[in-house]
Amino acid sequence: MTGQNSHSGGCQCGAMRFRVDGELGTASICHCRMCQKAFGAFYAPLVGLEKGSELTWTRGKPAYFQSSNHVRRGFCRDCGTPLTYEAPDGLGLAIGAFDHPEEIVPTVQYGLEGKLPYADRLPGLRGTRTEEDEIALPFLATLVSHQHPDEDTDTWPPEEQR
Amino acid sequence: MTTAGSATGGCQCGAVRYEVGAFGRASICHCRMCQKAFGNAFAPLVTAKSITFTRGTPKHFQSSSKARRGFCGSCGTPLTYEFEGFGTEIAICTLDDPSIAAPVLQVGLESRIPWCEGLDALPTRAPEEAAKAETLFKELVSNQHPDHDTENWPVQENDHGN
Repeated sequence: MTGQNSHSGGCQCGAMRFRVDGELGTASICHCRMCQKAFGAFYAPLVGLEKGSELTWTRGKPAYFQSSNHVRRGFCRDCGTPLTYEAPDGLGLAIGAFDHPEEIVPTVQYGLEGKLPYADRLPGLRGTRTEEDEIALPFLATLVSHQHPDEDTDTWPPEEQR
Repeated sequence: MTTAGSATGGCQCGAVRYEVGAFGRASICHCRMCQKAFGNAFAPLVTAKSITFTRGTPKHFQSSSKARRGFCGSCGTPLTYEFEGFGTEIAICTLDDPSIAAPVLQVGLESRIPWCEGLDALPTRAPEEAAKAETLFKELVSNQHPDHDTENWPVQENDHGN
């Protein structure tokens, strides 16, 4: 659950869930090649913790890859979701893993030397909503998601999916 | 190594490497399932018309009744999205040269996070912060696999002829 001063999140499969009690710190995106690779994406969106805020793993614990001598990166060993960036000067949580990523707005960008030439053009691409996708619709009509919902659960996965 | 019409890529730690023979369309997907799987604002994916895993194989999470997602079991990098009947799409930034797969379409607009527009206008590090970061990066020893195929990986640490 996400209250005024509490932010929850987790991985796609729900094996890892976390909660931050207290204020979140600076939200950023990093274009560097290491963040690109770790996230398989154009940039890593990460948010820090304000001093005094506390991170609790409420279900499961991440697996880690020591991506350099300074930094390790946490991920879910069951579904792969990138979860943390942990450096000597602090920890960043993957914004997309939060239950409400839309509330965590990046205010700074790093690693511009790694920025891909087309990164700025993405908002202007032609686009569709899922319900307009005629090829996907017949499949989506019967799709059963195994993704953890965007809120805490008492037990997971649900009985019928075990 | 990249030969004409093909391209190589892999995860951050190098345990999984692949070669793609031919590409289809590149896109970004804003749907909540792609956000969660990538811990990000959206997933950048390119259709791989043929793919061969040249080192290791991905681990998979069945994210729904219709789709499974491949990732590296050792470092978590999101690698593939495999929708029943539609073949394999790969995470663009796992390519050794992601600039070859510029997205031409965005899908799942109903879930688009508003802040993913306008990121190009964000400020970057102030000069004094940048200098501090530079010092840290000088001492950095990356454990990331290089952006080309390797005969042996990881490189033996004791590799200086004694």
